[in-house]
Amino acid sequence: MSFILFAAESTEEAANPILPVANEIFWGAVAFFSLWALVKFVLLPPVLKVMNERDARIQADLDAAEVARSRAGSAASEVSDQLVDVRAEAAQVVDAARAEAEAERATLISAAESDVAALKADAEAEIAEARAAAMSGLGPQVAELAAGAASKVMDRQVPLSSAQPVVDRYLNNPN
Amino acid sequence: MNALLLFAAEEEGGGGLEFPPIENLVEWPAYFGEGTIFEFNKIGLISLLALIIPTIMFLASKKELVPSGLQNIVESIVDFVDKQVILSAIGPEGRKYMPLLLSIFLFVFFGNIFEVIPTFQMPANARMANPLILALVAWVTFIAVGIKAQGFGGFMKSSLFPPGVPKALMPLVSLIEFISTFLLRPFGLAVRLFANMLAGHILLVTFGVLCIAVWKASPLVILEPLTFATLVGLTGFEVMVSLIQAFVFSLLTAVYISLSRSAHH
Repeated sequence: MSFILFAAESTEEAANPILPVANEIFWGAVAFFSLWALVKFVLLPPVLKVMNERDARIQADLDAAEVARSRAGSAASEVSDQLVDVRAEAAQVVDAARAEAEAERATLISAAESDVAALKADAEAEIAEARAAAMSGLGPQVAELAAGAASKVMDRQVPLSSAQPVVDRYLNNPN
Repeated sequence: MNALLLFAAEEEGGGGLEFPPIENLVEWPAYFGEGTIFEFNKIGLISLLALIIPTIMFLASKKELVPSGLQNIVESIVDFVDKQVILSAIGPEGRKYMPLLLSIFLFVFFGNIFEVIPTFQMPANARMANPLILALVAWVTFIAVGIKAQGFGGFMKSSLFPPGVPKALMPLVSLIEFISTFLLRPFGLAVRLFANMLAGHILLVTFGVLCIAVWKASPLVILEPLTFATLVGLTGFEVMVSLIQAFVFSLLTAVYISLSRSAHH
């Protein structure tokens, strides 16, 4: 099969198909200028109006959101500041409590030390008293033993009355 | 166009393929008013549909703060022209040209898209009339904007006498600038759109004719999936071309307006 492609044979009346023709220009001009006028005065304004309203609404919402965000930011900042204050206050309370506890502890320790010192003094007094009592009971017996021992060493009778002062002196001042 | 394709694919004796003459692809019989300036044919119908369809779309779309359905489409178109055409080429101050640029975008797109709509299968912009009208509108607009922004003398000076050019070269450069700015810009706008859409239209017709011819030629029918797939692919491609050409035309118009507003470009 052969394909025969040939250009239009020019006839005597055939107009150039590339050139514009008056009737098409007329209808094209009528249509275009009508469309232009309709778009300008009828079709476009309401569309632009609603689009602008939407843009304005969106912008207003965005602005409101920005204000809310700003408010939230300032509230957060406020809360943060308050938190700092509360923390400082808490630290002060803790420090005060710690100082009070320290003072209480010092007071208690001091009182305890006083009690201990008093108890110690009492105990020492008791000991001294017991020691004095023991010494006073021990003197005659030691004097008797010392007199007996001295009598045997000297081979004569040493009276108890002469041994007693020596023994008392020694017991009262053993060093 | 189906009848045209069938006509074109009609076998002649030895089974050859007769491709329709170019005027048969782009010239359409009159519905009424034949021979007058009011002659109404398929191109006129598509031009009116390019007016009616966006009008109905805009009127039928709801105007609610939360868009849905058709309103999404309409607002997407407006938003696209606003951001991709006006803001990118002119800036926020170019929003006053939104009606013009949106009208150009819609008119070009709906004029183009009929290329792939069954029973029409013809882009209005594959004829020179509509691209010429739009290019003239763009031309008048950017000259008017330039004169309004800079005054007649200032606009002519900034358009024809670019700074930094040696005086000896100025006459030649001015001539080139004049041709470039005042002749080639509108010519380029019109021809770019017209040629792209005509080429796409011829491409689709070619593959349509080829599909029918291959279908009828028994030894070559095995090529049918290939030719048909190509036709489908090209149809999708032409949808994209329709959109891109609308975008390019409106963007270039915006660029020309922007250049006219500034003293030196």
